[in-house]
Amino acid sequence: MAAADSPSAALRRDLCTRGIRLAGKMRADVLDLLDAYVEQQGLDASASVAAVEGVPLAAVERWDEQTGTQRLLQNLAAYRAFRALLAQMLEEQREQLGEAEAGLGRALAALLLQVSAFAYHLEELLRLESRGVPGEEEEEEEDGPPPPPRLSLFEQKLRGLGVLRELAQWAVRSVRDLRQLAKPSPATGAAPGLAESP
Amino acid sequence: IEMLFPPPPPPPLNLLLWLPVMGCDGCPGEGEGTAGPDVPNLSSEGWTSGQKNPPDVYEKLGTPQGLWTGGEMANPVRSACCVVLAAVVVVYAQRHSQPDSHIQYERVGADVTMKCGSMDWDAAVTWTANGTRDMDESHLNGSYLILKNVDLSQSGQYSCYEGSSWHLKYQTYLRVGTPPKEPVLMCRSNNYPKGFYCSWHLPTPTYIPNYFNISVIHGTKDMVCEKDATPKNRCHIRYLQLFSTVKYKVTLTVTNALGKNFTTLTFDEFAIVKPDPPESVVAKPVPNNPRRLEVSWQNPSSWPDPESFPLKFFLRYRPLILDQWQHVELSDGTSHTITDAYAGKEYIIQVAAKDNDIGTWSDWSVAVHATPWTEEPKHLTTEAQITETTSASTSSFMAPPTTKICDKGAMVGSGAMAVCWTAGLVVAAYSILFI
Repeated sequence: MAAADSPSAALRRDLCTRGIRLAGKMRADVLDLLDAYVEQQGLDASASVAAVEGVPLAAVERWDEQTGTQRLLQNLAAYRAFRALLAQMLEEQREQLGEAEAGLGRALAALLLQVSAFAYHLEELLRLESRGVPGEEEEEEEDGPPPPPRLSLFEQKLRGLGVLRELAQWAVRSVRDLRQLAKPSPATGAAPGLAESP
Repeated sequence: IEMLFPPPPPPPLNLLLWLPVMGCDGCPGEGEGTAGPDVPNLSSEGWTSGQKNPPDVYEKLGTPQGLWTGGEMANPVRSACCVVLAAVVVVYAQRHSQPDSHIQYERVGADVTMKCGSMDWDAAVTWTANGTRDMDESHLNGSYLILKNVDLSQSGQYSCYEGSSWHLKYQTYLRVGTPPKEPVLMCRSNNYPKGFYCSWHLPTPTYIPNYFNISVIHGTKDMVCEKDATPKNRCHIRYLQLFSTVKYKVTLTVTNALGKNFTTLTFDEFAIVKPDPPESVVAKPVPNNPRRLEVSWQNPSSWPDPESFPLKFFLRYRPLILDQWQHVELSDGTSHTITDAYAGKEYIIQVAAKDNDIGTWSDWSVAVHATPWTEEPKHLTTEAQITETTSASTSSFMAPPTTKICDKGAMVGSGAMAVCWTAGLVVAAYSILFI
């Protein structure tokens, strides 16, 4: 390194490092939960699930060209959406499943906590950069159409599969995004992308 | 003129406007065992044009069969000259034009029949193979050459000559081969997140040219797989999207003259990520540490951004005299110190790499060998030599088990007892090892 880190840069790197660990743990838990979910819901693990409305897609073009702020905002929007989706899944599971599948419910609840914690972590990073944290009410208004009508049991199961798969992808993407954020800029010592964001 | 120049097959009416046909544009396709004549055979090729039927014109002009002229002649002398000239041209063309050379593909085990161009079945011909006159009568059915149950050794050039004139009437290159089996296709990303490559090969050779076509689809989108300069059976694709759950579908089709086959691979972005092995693996002894080896390596040069996409490593090592490996997984850094090496034993060490989050482990690196540090061995001396020396030595040495290790009477100096104890420990260690 050319120069000593500024306190904010050090804090940012620390937050990013912790966030990377959180995301890594989250991914490992999602993958375990996916296996259990597929088995208990009687689904085919290789089944293709079309993009489900309301599930944020991790797929992105020109990922390497994103600014730090873009990364944080997109991550935050995604995890807030996953928080709502997982809460909905948990509610549906409680209605569908008996005591035998209580383990699945507990795993979902634990994952929901992790997602909430990660979303909060992202908000901290945004505050560190003195970026305004978008309110969730604003995001809901920007999301567009109202939620779709209640799905059939099978559709709920397939949607749940899609949610977990996409969450697993997001966990990987978040790790990569945070690593990019943690990189020091050679000139200023600030993380790349955040300095040039509007 | 007829005596000097045997009549050729009926040429088209406007011969003077046509050059002799050197190619075989109107010939039947390859593999059919027939070849076109020197000039188009109007009756067999189904060639059509706006001309009158040759027999009608022939009758009208009263010219000998095979010699065609166009238009009316005002001067008999000039007419005769033109006829002679035309005949000369025709004959010259016949003598010097070569029949088209074909390539004919046949399956191993097939029965092949070759016709001598447009020669009749009962024409007198001679067939040669690869320029040698080795096609005996048993292979002939009239003027047809019959090859039964062909094998690879029968690939080659077959030529047919008209019996008396030895005029080359037909030539073909027979290539015996097989249709392609299902190709073997592999796709891998060793340079994530830039892209991935696919490579392929046939499980068994076909002995004839094969043509490969690859298609890549991501969801509903067709992607272009750019051919690599080397190796030839490989192409690469740049990722347009990252972190997609949509699978990639790669279809490889192989075609040759005898058949076609294909294979399909379906995978997602993460599953095919496999780095190349670590490079520049070095293992060195640690001075004054008989049980340590210091190992270092570098990220594979093909991995484009190890800072953003760090690799983790798996190191394995064993002494040469044992079969069982020790393993260490390392989540960061490109070096490691082995601390439990057997003293004095030569070790073999390898390293593998994997993306920290996705994909599979690389192949093992090139193996390196190293032996932990040992003290400089003391020269072994006889009793007589030792009694002549008075110098003390403080160094210890490792003697092979068969060597006399400890003879108090032969040792001098303050290090003698240390030497004996060390040697004794070594012998004990060897004994335990080999039990």
